Amino acid sequence: MKLKCNATLPDRALHIALKTSEGGCRRGDGTDCFIASNSATTPGDMTERGCTYAGCRGVVGGPVKDAIQLTHGPIGCAFFSWGYRPHLADSDFHMKYTFVSDMNETNIVFGGEKKLLQSIIEANREFPEAKAVFVYNTCSTALIGDDGRDVAKQAEEMIGKPVVFFECEGFKGVSQSMGHHVGNETIFRQLVGSAEPEGDFSRTINIVGDYNIKNDLRTFEYLFEALGLKIITRFTGNVGVDELRIMHKAALNVVHCQRSATYIADMMQEKYGTPYINVTLWGIKHMAQALRDTAAFFGLEAQAEAVIANELAKLQPKIDYYRERLQGKTVFIYQGGPRAWHWIELLRELGMKTITVATTFGHEDDYEKIFEQIDAGGMMIDNPNVPELEEILTHRRPDLFISGNKEKYVAYKLGVPFVNGHTYDTGPYAGFSGMVNFARDIDKAIHAPIWATLKRKARPAPAAHHTSHGFAHGFEGAD
Amino acid sequence: MSCVTTQDRAVAINPTRSCAPIGAMLANYGIHGAITINHGSQGCATYPRHQMARHFREPVEVASTSLTEKTTVYGGKNNLLSALKNIWERFNPTMIMVCSTCLSETIGDDIPGIIDEFKDNNPEITIPILSVKTPSYIGNHATGFDNFLKEIANNLPDRRKKKGETNGKINIIPGWVNPGDIRELKHIVREMALHAIWLTDYSETLDGGYYEPRPHFARGGTTIEELQSSSKSIATIALQRHIGGDAAHIYERRHNVPAHILPMPIGLENTDAFVDTLTEITDHTVPEILQVERARLLDALVDTHMFTSGLRVALFGDPDILEGLTSLVVEMGMTPAYILTASESKPWAEHMVEVTQELGVESEIIIKSDLHELHKRIKAKPVDLLIGHSKGKFIADAEKIPLVRVGFPVEDRFGYHRRSIVGYNGAISLVDEITNIVFERRATGVVSNTLLELGVEGPSTMPLLIPNGNGNGKH
Repeated sequence: MKLKCNATLPDRALHIALKTSEGGCRRGDGTDCFIASNSATTPGDMTERGCTYAGCRGVVGGPVKDAIQLTHGPIGCAFFSWGYRPHLADSDFHMKYTFVSDMNETNIVFGGEKKLLQSIIEANREFPEAKAVFVYNTCSTALIGDDGRDVAKQAEEMIGKPVVFFECEGFKGVSQSMGHHVGNETIFRQLVGSAEPEGDFSRTINIVGDYNIKNDLRTFEYLFEALGLKIITRFTGNVGVDELRIMHKAALNVVHCQRSATYIADMMQEKYGTPYINVTLWGIKHMAQALRDTAAFFGLEAQAEAVIANELAKLQPKIDYYRERLQGKTVFIYQGGPRAWHWIELLRELGMKTITVATTFGHEDDYEKIFEQIDAGGMMIDNPNVPELEEILTHRRPDLFISGNKEKYVAYKLGVPFVNGHTYDTGPYAGFSGMVNFARDIDKAIHAPIWATLKRKARPAPAAHHTSHGFAHGFEGAD
Repeated sequence: MSCVTTQDRAVAINPTRSCAPIGAMLANYGIHGAITINHGSQGCATYPRHQMARHFREPVEVASTSLTEKTTVYGGKNNLLSALKNIWERFNPTMIMVCSTCLSETIGDDIPGIIDEFKDNNPEITIPILSVKTPSYIGNHATGFDNFLKEIANNLPDRRKKKGETNGKINIIPGWVNPGDIRELKHIVREMALHAIWLTDYSETLDGGYYEPRPHFARGGTTIEELQSSSKSIATIALQRHIGGDAAHIYERRHNVPAHILPMPIGLENTDAFVDTLTEITDHTVPEILQVERARLLDALVDTHMFTSGLRVALFGDPDILEGLTSLVVEMGMTPAYILTASESKPWAEHMVEVTQELGVESEIIIKSDLHELHKRIKAKPVDLLIGHSKGKFIADAEKIPLVRVGFPVEDRFGYHRRSIVGYNGAISLVDEITNIVFERRATGVVSNTLLELGVEGPSTMPLLIPNGNGNGKH
């Protein structure tokens, strides 16, 4: 599998693979080796990847609703990570406010520790009701050698509440995936286990690795509760600092995103002996399986079957409606990591066929799961860049592209129907009820009349001398 | 008299500004076929791309040199060299702009030196490759845009210019505006029967159409040839003092092209200044159509003054757009109670004191500040209206004050990138929008906060809406 746009980038062939009709893996370089992943991006290839800071501040730390989200660095990192990711909660302090130590040139030359300490104290003074201060390190403050950990300790004593310092400087890893790891590790080390409530926790779980995008939690929390289970902590979506502190009390970790959050489940298993199960909370089969697996742990199998039967009775007619409309449609999924493989089965349940799967920061285990689930002829691509996406959208021509906001407009300019899988068009998409939303959005995207209009009506770009750049052309060439 | 205040917090809470690379990236989008390489962490390219995609709703493509921990220790030279090669081979661009980041500046990469080495090793590559300094810790997004323009003015214009040689065109630097604004400025220039070179023109590259097939490069943008010829223009007009003012002076110094630095043409007075300048530097007169548009703006100001006079507004954003808006809101009879910017420029603040004094209003000009500070001011002394970018929505929601969206970013509304707030037509559309918002508010019985504060008007004694219940007059 060779892409034309990679003629001058032979290394990219290692990141592209096909599933052969015999079920083997044929990589772009002609070998049978497995797809390469989680390695440094080719410079200048127009990657879609973000940085470690983005993974930590944007994904793992950002949803914590009652922490002051303070970036230690210059203004841009804080501005761009502010308020756009819809990790909702029952309060919106974390969405509305961003804090930054606002490093300027003098601070970079003389060090920013004093300013960081002052920033933490001032931020806490402005919002004394916050339960903690989360401080995120950036490239510049890491390079000048600010000892943020020490400042955090000092500040903690002064303000009397946790100051959690994330060493998530942007350059640390090859993608935002490193930021998830830092986020897990730091929250585990500094918060988890720092409070010891009394009570019976024998029938409790944590939902690990759901970020409550457009209220995803609402679609499945009640199902677990219907089993008779109590959710202690949601890591991290609609979650407060106090819940993170008692996270270790739960009897079981239910791990949803297995790229960005398995770290904390592993650490809890090691330190507290908390067992965990991996689940997928999207799609009928997987959601039901998640309930069954969770119920089995607690010996609640009968309850689970009742809950599932009740939900399916409501859901099935709607899914059948969409399945009929979507039967046979082909999909290109490009997500950050696990959603790429979480959704192959869900789309199959809607009668659709996933022909291409890509992730921004997936590791080998993510690609193994994708490989297992796709049909022969299916294509995998790791860390795709803009020209690759364009070529795939143009030449493999999927009926639907599921990706994020940046890629949306590329798809639209190429006339490919699109659903936003990162932050959702409407959402939520998780659980049983969310799947109906997902199906509805897919249906809306694929069957919108605009695509037929484009086919009939779109025209080539007019010749350049008619453009208005350099007004003279437009004026003299006007008809 | 107006006063100048600054914020004394170290921590910034809800900043009004972002950082320098995005300014350079935006400006570079106005050059046809040009590509940006951001030399730093991947986030430094991806975050601005995402932000621009949310504002313009267009594909935004910026390359990154993808520096990681290892390259940070040994320097980013090899990454930049290979990025330059990969971009050249894959995209065949007309120009490459390399902008720096906190990371590459702090580790001390010599970007111009690396570019020279690349050019020495690849003599067949003759396109311009510019280096623009954009560490986030110096200035803000406007600094990046301004630095880009300075590099353009220093490097691209043709230096071989015979005495008296001219292309008959005017260099116009619109500054940080929207595609719709550039189109409105083009309309004015076209109607004046003049020719311009736009520094730079993203009116189509960031507000493009749907074409089948999709062109390799987005249509539009100023061409390299035009930029080369810009040294032979008859004048340079910078329409934002802080973005392009210095570049205009470089044209004057190096190429003898006279510089005209004007306020951003928002409102009647400022648009007149632009149009008058066009008539002064050429022998062209104001055409009929612009005279009609101008008269239509005056008519709109007359028709709306009873609804807008006396309202207190808070303006926030970048210095140039604030100067322009101040003029327009005063023309509408409103008081710019707070004029808040993140810029630290004291000269600008003093200039604004003079501007407001001449306009006969009293404002608090708050520099080096953020939106949390504005929120506190508004809580203490309310305003009727907020004017600024989308990030003001948190104040608007909390205080139930309408927000008129202008500037960058507007990410929670559709199509604001293609409307115009400059020129006579832009002013008319703002007057319309503001008045309509007042209409919607009047229904809730709110009167001018300015007049309330002066004590000359009490809360309206005659309720506009008949309250529910027994109607005993208490409300």
